[in-house]
Amino acid sequence: MLKWVRKGLRAGIKTTGYPHTRESAPGISPGRPAAMLCDGPQEAGAVAGRCPTGALSNQGNMIRVDHRRCVHCGRCRQDHEHAMAWEGGYEWAGGRKAPGEMAAAFSRSLHIRILDAGACGACLSEIKQISSPYYNIHRLGFFITPTPRTADVLLVAGPLTDPMRLPLERCYAAMPDPKRVVAVGACAVSGGIFGPSFAAAAGISQCVPVDIEIPGCPPPPLALLHALLMVAGKTKQT
Amino acid sequence: MGPTLNNVLKFTDLPRMVASRWGDSLEIKIDQERQLIQITCDPEVLQDLCQWLFYRQGYSLATLIAEEAPPEWVMRYILYGDTGNGQVHVLTRFPLSRTKVPSISPAIHAADWQEREIEDLFGLSFEGHPKLGDFILHEDWPEGASPMRTAFDASRLHPRQESGPPWRPEMIVKTPGAFMMPVGPVYSDTAESAHFLLETVGEDVVRTIPKFFYKYRGVEKIAEGMPADHALLLAERFSGSSAFAHSLAFCQALEAICKIQAPPRARALRVLLAEMERLRHHTAAVAGICSSTALAVAASQTSIIEEDLLRLTCRLAGHRYFFGLNTPGGLARDLPDGECKKASEAAWIVLDKLKELHEMLRFTSSFLDRLEEVGSVSRKKAVAYGLVGPVARASGVSRDLRVAQPYAGYGQQTKFQVPREAEGDGYARLRVLFAEAEQSVNLIHQVASTLPAGPVRTAAAPTEGCALGWAEAPRGAAFHWLRTDGSGNIRRYRVMPPSFVNWHGFHLAAEEFAFQDFPIIMATFGLSNAECDR
Amino acid sequence: MTETGSLLLTFFIVCGLGVFTGGLPGNEKHAACVSIIGSVASLALLTASGIVLLSGRAFSMALWALPLFGKMMLGMDRMSALFLFITGMVFLPVSIFSAGYLKRYTGRYSLKSFAVFYFLLFASIALTLMAMDVLSFVIGWEAMSLLGYLLVNYEHEQADTTRSGMVMLLMSEAGTLAVILAFVILARTTGDMGFASLRAGAVHLGAVAGWFVFLLSFFGFGVKAGLVPVNSWLPMAHPVAPGNVSAILSGVILNLGIYGIVRINADILPIAGTGQGLVVLLIGTLSALVGILYATPEDDMKKMLAHSSIENMGIVTAGLGAGFVFLTSGHPVPAGLAFIAALYHMTNHSLYKALLFLGAGSVDMQVGSRHMQGLGGLIRRMPWTALFFLVGALSIAALPPFNGFVSEWLTLQTLLQCAVLPSKAVKITFALCGAGLALTAALAVTCFVKAFAMNFLGKERSEKAAKAAEAAPSMTISMGILAVACFLFGILPTYVIPAMDRVVQPYVHVSAVDQLVPPFFTVGRGNDKFDRTFVADFHKLGAQVGSRVLPGRGLVIMHRGGKRNPVIFAMSPAYTVAVLLLLLGGTFLIIRLLTRRRSLTHGPAWSGGLGRLPPEMTYSATGFSNPVRVIFRGIFRPVTVRDARETVANHFRSAIRKDQLEIHMIDRLFGKPIVHYGRRLAERLGRMHSGRVNAYAAYVLAALLAVLLIQGLA
Repeated sequence: MLKWVRKGLRAGIKTTGYPHTRESAPGISPGRPAAMLCDGPQEAGAVAGRCPTGALSNQGNMIRVDHRRCVHCGRCRQDHEHAMAWEGGYEWAGGRKAPGEMAAAFSRSLHIRILDAGACGACLSEIKQISSPYYNIHRLGFFITPTPRTADVLLVAGPLTDPMRLPLERCYAAMPDPKRVVAVGACAVSGGIFGPSFAAAAGISQCVPVDIEIPGCPPPPLALLHALLMVAGKTKQT
Repeated sequence: MGPTLNNVLKFTDLPRMVASRWGDSLEIKIDQERQLIQITCDPEVLQDLCQWLFYRQGYSLATLIAEEAPPEWVMRYILYGDTGNGQVHVLTRFPLSRTKVPSISPAIHAADWQEREIEDLFGLSFEGHPKLGDFILHEDWPEGASPMRTAFDASRLHPRQESGPPWRPEMIVKTPGAFMMPVGPVYSDTAESAHFLLETVGEDVVRTIPKFFYKYRGVEKIAEGMPADHALLLAERFSGSSAFAHSLAFCQALEAICKIQAPPRARALRVLLAEMERLRHHTAAVAGICSSTALAVAASQTSIIEEDLLRLTCRLAGHRYFFGLNTPGGLARDLPDGECKKASEAAWIVLDKLKELHEMLRFTSSFLDRLEEVGSVSRKKAVAYGLVGPVARASGVSRDLRVAQPYAGYGQQTKFQVPREAEGDGYARLRVLFAEAEQSVNLIHQVASTLPAGPVRTAAAPTEGCALGWAEAPRGAAFHWLRTDGSGNIRRYRVMPPSFVNWHGFHLAAEEFAFQDFPIIMATFGLSNAECDR
Repeated sequence: MTETGSLLLTFFIVCGLGVFTGGLPGNEKHAACVSIIGSVASLALLTASGIVLLSGRAFSMALWALPLFGKMMLGMDRMSALFLFITGMVFLPVSIFSAGYLKRYTGRYSLKSFAVFYFLLFASIALTLMAMDVLSFVIGWEAMSLLGYLLVNYEHEQADTTRSGMVMLLMSEAGTLAVILAFVILARTTGDMGFASLRAGAVHLGAVAGWFVFLLSFFGFGVKAGLVPVNSWLPMAHPVAPGNVSAILSGVILNLGIYGIVRINADILPIAGTGQGLVVLLIGTLSALVGILYATPEDDMKKMLAHSSIENMGIVTAGLGAGFVFLTSGHPVPAGLAFIAALYHMTNHSLYKALLFLGAGSVDMQVGSRHMQGLGGLIRRMPWTALFFLVGALSIAALPPFNGFVSEWLTLQTLLQCAVLPSKAVKITFALCGAGLALTAALAVTCFVKAFAMNFLGKERSEKAAKAAEAAPSMTISMGILAVACFLFGILPTYVIPAMDRVVQPYVHVSAVDQLVPPFFTVGRGNDKFDRTFVADFHKLGAQVGSRVLPGRGLVIMHRGGKRNPVIFAMSPAYTVAVLLLLLGGTFLIIRLLTRRRSLTHGPAWSGGLGRLPPEMTYSATGFSNPVRVIFRGIFRPVTVRDARETVANHFRSAIRKDQLEIHMIDRLFGKPIVHYGRRLAERLGRMHSGRVNAYAAYVLAALLAVLLIQGLA
């Protein structure tokens, strides 16, 4: 066992400085399309039309991005004349409630329960990463808890497939008040490319009240951290 | 590693042998270019023929496809052989009014779940299959509604039965005191949703009853009528952890329909990217095994490597999970040579770290005790269940689509080995993962140092037709079968992912071991429910 | 005639009345009769024995003089009084219980015969315990054995009942035979068969004869007490016996075995060598271990309780054995402690085992099954039964504040006193036995957690369990009486121990009570057992709390090592209860205060997101105890009879059958060889039956010659 202790120590500290400092290592986030001005309404329409999920819409020259629908397919920036510019960053979480409602419920620690409502695996993989040494949520007082009975936050990924509706309802009901629901990824936020259909809903808000949405396909770990900090009241709303 | 003389003979001989056995009732077509034999037969000889191909000729079952082609049903059984043996498509047709099909699963157990799936989704009934009933659609799904029939409206949520009876499978362990231990569908960690009932008398799991498809998103159904490049999003995103392999198989199916080939540079880059995905996946699987045995430092160190690979992928491909890269006809974007070289160097460093980890794990007895001789699958069972990927290779079945049915840049240009272990236990699966990761880094290096120049995309015009695309995904053989109409929209889409096949055989490993071994065996299988459920 | 005598006369008359009313025609009123008359008889017996126990005025009465056997004597010393008192304490609630319980037999079996047997049994037990000569003892003993057999066999229409009854009878008779032989050896030196003259004559008995008496009587009484290796009848008899009879079987009849051991080995022929004491200790410990090992995985509630009776009798016997060893090594005080612990444990066992058997009987009656596999969730249907069963389970699992804890604690502490013993080997044996008993205690917790949880908690695992109703008031009230007794014996050991001390004093010749219940309150008034600083220390700890209001010696019991291990363990179950209640109340208040403004929500248990869980998806009794079965596989030695996997269409499994057969370790080691060689012997002897007249004539001649030869030699 000693060799493992040594190995752990030798590896050094990998943990990000976020939220105290900005993290800027390459590859932490795929980025996302940013709203932009085109030369003319027709060009704007053509660019917006390339989006297969309807995340882009144009008003005159302006292309707006509905990040809730964006699945990062990258088609808006692929070798066309008018490629959309993508912005970096990862502070993507957004609240669905007024800031006053969110504040002060949790200030010290947060216990997190994760529920897979039909996620493809990428969101879950990013959720797994938040407790790895690189992101290490424990240092912020966030913990993953095995049962909803002791959970403050429910992270839900996936478009909400029909068989997961009952487990989600039960899981939400089993959590004590006060509680928060975070929708992780485009699927959970809007149904993504899967919902609504005969088998899946258009996001989890059709079943439980969502407090915070993290768009992205998948949202990178730092976006998840941002959302959790938001729940804990340790960050300003974006 | 080209086709051996024997195999070539077998492939050319096969039509004659089939004809001599089953006479003129068959219609045999040979497509030399695609190495494909298409046999149309009566439903009556189906089981015999498939059994002969599977057990006597060594063909593996890829998938079963039911297709509604008024005025008849077309059932397509796709089998594939080793290098040079090509594929055999067995077709059988019968009128739409008929709903009974002879089952082949009494002979080929690998077809068991596939038949159950078709029974559930199409309302066809397989005669001779002993275990039909709720499978994909759970107990609250109204009887009689078959979502894969063309008449079914897939756009709206189908009304469910309000108070269906609770799921109560029959207990087959007939020992006093036996009971069922429910596990899931919501786990205590980040595991994917699936439900197991473990029949037990207290310590050992005697029988595993899995209930999957909590994550059924009906990908095959909602793809129908979509433009192909829109359906590509589904193929790419139904299993995010093996997105590149599945989008690759999908694109190759479309390319086969359009009768085009991706340019050499795209084919080479596809190998590079697919191997990077395999490397990432296997690293994550090792991390899962380490954390299932509560070896915290090893799990953390492996997840550091995993995150390194995710960041590397993002720098190289613009996305941490390879989304949006494959496109029919090639790649959506060219990757600069320099970046590929850097990636290959980074992969070497990752390999060094993995090797060091493997070396340390090999000498951690508390870790080995949990893996060795735990969760064993015999070679015979692995063949009967048609297992694929690292799981099958750990049980001595060394079939790998990259060798058996070369695609993209695999085949002549690249050299690699298919690792194989004989024991079939958890430790064998772990060793296969490490060995495959090494081969992947090897391949990345080969490709990055010999990247051909040129374009990365061939234009594809919408064509009507059907074809099979395949790829050796990180978890094993993945098959995507497509039928498009003249405007390039999808008419029928069939995905057979490796997780579906391997979950079918999971119970072989999980039984006769203690409860506490269950999560470890699950981790050594390294399967994805998203991939299985689609 | 003294008051005791008149009370005993009343008792026997009431029993006679019971037998008489039992003989009356009609079947409906018998249950009530058994209940009322039985209660009156029990009360008479309780008063009579209570008077003797407290006052110490022994009672004796000569009946008739018979030729060859001498005078038949009845009498009651404190030892008899203690056993009679326990008998009364068990018979009283059991009689009340019978009012409701016997209704289940109306119309199926004759209640008449039950009443007759019941009162005859009661009287014969009293007779056995009061017998002061061999003849009365053997008459009482034999009557008790036969009546016990008849009552166990009450549901005679079941085939397995009859078979179990036969085994019980057979082993019991073998035991009786051994006991009679022991008495015969004892009586060799005296002409008289009275216990008093036997006692006087025993001094002249040689060492070898002493060993013979010891082995024969220990074997004979061991059968009754259910000790290994003669315990097989117990787990067979209990499940088939009616619930109330089981309570008597375990609560009273097993005690008679202990009574016999004490009467002979402590009183009539006090054990002379350490070896005999060690045999008792080892057999006791082994019985305890084997009993609990087989109790834990058992699914049949009554079988489980029967195995657990073996365990408890083992603990009692181990305590006695330790006492014998201390006594023979010249340490009367620890010997006294050991005897007190043993008798205390026996008393407790009678109380809680009767309670548990009545509980099991209620469940059996209301649900129709004794198998925990099909029970569950009964706390919602039978809340009172559940509460009282819980008290019984906590008591038997030796958890404070109930009685089992005190006596097991005392037994273990006494075993730790082995430091005073001279021989290393003996010390090691004591240490090993102590460890064995500790393991027993731990397994007992597992066993009874399972018993309570599987019966009363969780989901109903069968239709019948879901429809069960609370037992009749007479049944719950009787369980309540026993539960209260368990509680009182648990929190007031300082009142029980002096009484026990007076019982054992005649045999150890010293009083151990000061060692156990220190006279802290008499400080300053000539307490020379402890120096003043020691007492003052305890006063600081609050040991004198309540001294002004309490009539006895206070509520602290103590166990103190000798000079070589001056470790002191002191505790007060009564104060513990008070403190526990205060803490609980305080915690409750604090929580109430803190959560005053918070709302409380009740939700269904979290089951991983599933809807309703069917009962087959909850832990089964077998599953719960399976780890014990796996750990002790080497002892259980299960034989796989069938391990079959049935499949259809090659790979689809339709059934997995795995049947294992377990033969009780004792039957495997002793029973099987005995049966095997017995059969062989019978075969050999069978060959003598050739059917030829001249052969038989030769046998007669040979026998005659042999007799003559023996006579001639003698």
